Amino acid sequence: MSIVNHFPVLAVVVLLLFAYLMPLLMRWRKEWCVPATLGAIGFSLIASLYMMWQVMTTGPFMYQMGSWAPPWGIEFSIDYLAVFATMTITIVGLIVIYYGTQDLLHELKEQVMGWYYTLYLLLMASMIGMVLTNDLFNMFVFVEICAIASCGIISIKESRECIEAAFKYLVLSAVGSGCLLLAIAMIYMVTGHLNFTYVAQALPQVMDLYPLNILVSLALFLVGLGVKAALFPLHVWLPDAHSSAPSPSSAVLSGLVIKVYAIAMIKLLYKVYPPELLGMAPIMNMILWMATLAIIIGSMFAIVQDDIKKMLAYSSIAQIGYVFLGVGLMSESALQGGILHIFNHAIMKSMLFLSAGAIIYATGTRKLSDLKGIGITLPVPTIAFSLGAFAMVGIPITNGFISKWYLALGSLDVGRPFFAAVILVSSLLNGIYYLPIVVNAFFGEPEGAVAEPRPLPRQMVVSLILLGSGVILFGVFPSLILGVVSKAAQSLLGLL
Amino acid sequence: MRFTSSFLPVWIVMFPMVMTAVIYYVEQHSEKMRNALAVGTSLVTFLSVAALYPYIMAGNIIEYKMFQLLPSLDISFRVDILSFSLALLSSFIWMMVAIYSLDYMCKEHGCNRYYPVLIITLASCMGIFMAGDLFTLFVFFELMSLISYVLVVHEETVEALRAGYKYLIMTIIGGLALFFGIIITFELAGTVTLSGATLIKEPSTLAFFAFISFLIGFGMKAGMFPLHVWLPDAHPVAPSPASALLSGIMLKTGAYGLLRVIFHVFGFEFMQREGWTVILAVVAVITILLGSAVAITQDDLKRRLAYSSIGQMGYILLGMSILTERALIGNIFHIFSHAFMKSTLFLCAGAIILKTGKRSIKELGGIGKQMPFTMFAFTLAALAMIGIPPFNGFLSKWTLSLGAMDAGVPFYVLVLLLSSLLNGLYYLPIIISAFFGGEPGHEHDHVKVNEAGYKMLIPIAILAVSCLLFGLLPTNLPFDLSRVAAEFLLRGGQ
Repeated sequence: MSIVNHFPVLAVVVLLLFAYLMPLLMRWRKEWCVPATLGAIGFSLIASLYMMWQVMTTGPFMYQMGSWAPPWGIEFSIDYLAVFATMTITIVGLIVIYYGTQDLLHELKEQVMGWYYTLYLLLMASMIGMVLTNDLFNMFVFVEICAIASCGIISIKESRECIEAAFKYLVLSAVGSGCLLLAIAMIYMVTGHLNFTYVAQALPQVMDLYPLNILVSLALFLVGLGVKAALFPLHVWLPDAHSSAPSPSSAVLSGLVIKVYAIAMIKLLYKVYPPELLGMAPIMNMILWMATLAIIIGSMFAIVQDDIKKMLAYSSIAQIGYVFLGVGLMSESALQGGILHIFNHAIMKSMLFLSAGAIIYATGTRKLSDLKGIGITLPVPTIAFSLGAFAMVGIPITNGFISKWYLALGSLDVGRPFFAAVILVSSLLNGIYYLPIVVNAFFGEPEGAVAEPRPLPRQMVVSLILLGSGVILFGVFPSLILGVVSKAAQSLLGLL
Repeated sequence: MRFTSSFLPVWIVMFPMVMTAVIYYVEQHSEKMRNALAVGTSLVTFLSVAALYPYIMAGNIIEYKMFQLLPSLDISFRVDILSFSLALLSSFIWMMVAIYSLDYMCKEHGCNRYYPVLIITLASCMGIFMAGDLFTLFVFFELMSLISYVLVVHEETVEALRAGYKYLIMTIIGGLALFFGIIITFELAGTVTLSGATLIKEPSTLAFFAFISFLIGFGMKAGMFPLHVWLPDAHPVAPSPASALLSGIMLKTGAYGLLRVIFHVFGFEFMQREGWTVILAVVAVITILLGSAVAITQDDLKRRLAYSSIGQMGYILLGMSILTERALIGNIFHIFSHAFMKSTLFLCAGAIILKTGKRSIKELGGIGKQMPFTMFAFTLAALAMIGIPPFNGFLSKWTLSLGAMDAGVPFYVLVLLLSSLLNGLYYLPIIISAFFGGEPGHEHDHVKVNEAGYKMLIPIAILAVSCLLFGLLPTNLPFDLSRVAAEFLLRGGQ
């Protein structure tokens, strides 16, 4: 038995192990912290790429923890969606923390740096665990780790608004976790199983006996995961949390963490709950309308912001709406668009947050109205920001266009052009708040701190360039990622 | 009808794109090289387009598929007679404007931004005209619209930025409308390739939405009422050579897109059967009268020219809505005529502004004595605008009117006549006061001739003479091309 067979669990365990090593390293071998963190995430990246190759060549498979067969043992399901998600998480996570090694130095106190890496690795481990697991309770454990670690990387900055935001997040997140636990308990009550596969087999049989339990559990899942994924109207914690956190934290929170809950939701809706149940209650329509409101209202709130990171945070609310729109439309193209948007938005939004972070690092200002002429003095972050802005609007040859294309196509496929129109209106709104910033940045005389920015460290520039080329690469050659995305969508819809 | 696959269209689009990067690199070191490269690039592009002439006139269609973006969504090129005509026209005017810019822009700031943008808009314009499917057309359309923003706000004044903002928002709305139209077409037809067969065959609500979306998307660019609001602000604030391109060429991309939609997406018989051409006709008539009427009230020279562009674009839209053969010839020929006339006018206005700094028409009295050559060219183009024989403007109006009579709607002829009258009302006073006006009391003073440099005068001269020549000669290249293109389109594009 070679080590590659254990990659699914190792991708999580190695990260956990290194997370606990960090405080020790911080004490005795400070200079090892950064390489160790990068190495651990790098290992997960290799593991997830290997799993991706395995799944694409030989098909999805199961990994049994300690060879204990279900229903007793914990199972990891390595399917198309899971490998897609782990790859997204590890790639973006690696780039963000590589950027963070420099940016965090000026935002955090030195003695907490080790703790930051601990929290970051815990967060990565929990996210990967959440998308791989095939077990409800195991998922809940990872959800909890994820919530605590997210709060940690916000409040670590120890400023007033960070603590306040983290507290708000913690309380709402705890409410969400409570809902999840209740929902899991209800499922366990009626089926006696926690494994997704077994629950999915048992649910149709008990549906007639306990319809209410199952419906309530679904509602609780929707609320619990909805709070965590910031689905409108459960988004109230997000703008504060994502805007006050250190920039790498914002990037990973907006880019990845909220998406992971969306993936958990996709798994539950398409793999666990029987399709007949989805016919009993208009659950998909509810998701659609919540998503629509998220898209429109999130964008509208973003327009009025003057704080660059707050604007990006509100824009995330709108963008998570796109993902849920894809989930709710129940058509192959739309689901592809939704899943693809998880990846595309992860790249775009982390790039936008990182370029905002770089601008804040170099100039010390976060007010949009002060950023006149920044394109001349700080070309790399501003060009990255502009690329991200174009991708958000969905200009062709950026990756944002591809996800919009699929979402719009999906809504036409099911004969609901209204939702295609929603996507267009939201693109217009995106244009209204992103493009003036770009214009301001390139046509205007720089003043004050903007005129003489601090030079950016290499790590920050490299990360931005990597993400920026990703936006173009996946816009021009979307087939690189579409293979796994379309397989994921087809297998979720049972077409494979 | 034969199909050939040739790399030439890709070369025509890619060459200026690559040269943009080269110019951007070179300009850090030498301004002379930059200028030479900019003019050289436009010249080579023009020659490359002209090299297609024998293929195209032999009735060939060149198709070239570059690569696949998504399943059944390609980046592809297709050059037929219509593509060729407009590409030839655009690259020619571009070359003239590039030469003109050498002198005009030398006193302006930000030339290092201006030239690369000028060349990359040329590339995207070529891309629009040579696109083989709606998606490629859309990509280049967006590219051109967004990049020409830089031309609009070149002066970076408050009013330029405000006009630019309006332009940007309208561009995005137009782009999204196009996106909607294209995706509906894709949904209904499964492909968006432009070929002999029409894409949408069955009328439905969704198809109607698609038509309206295309009308908004392309009509916005073409300055169609009521989406013209950005145009009178954006065109005058740009530097004059850029205004010439914006008004002379880039407006036409909207008209070109609509032609493609009418003939390739829906088919003109479909359009007539469903009565959708009526929508086009109504907005066209309003656009003509509104553009011409509002132009009279403008005092800023370039603003008056911009409103006049709206009126003229209305002619082109009208030709599209009539859809008889002669109307179509007039429509395509007017694309040529208006490109020549309006770029001449804007370039003359640029020369006047550069030499005297005057933009207000009230101050232009006696300018004809100071700049006789420029004003003579202006007069030629203005007379063509009014539609006086033997200028090219007359020929296009005449053909359009014949087309309207063929369709049995003399009302359109009345509209054209009325608009000509209005054109006369706002162009003739400029000319009269330029030559015979002037400040009282100074009439007998000797006015020094103060013309712009020859690099500006030569393009103006060539364009102005073209206005005359293409109306005077009964068989000329633009008219032939229009005739063949109209026949080609009415045959169903094959």
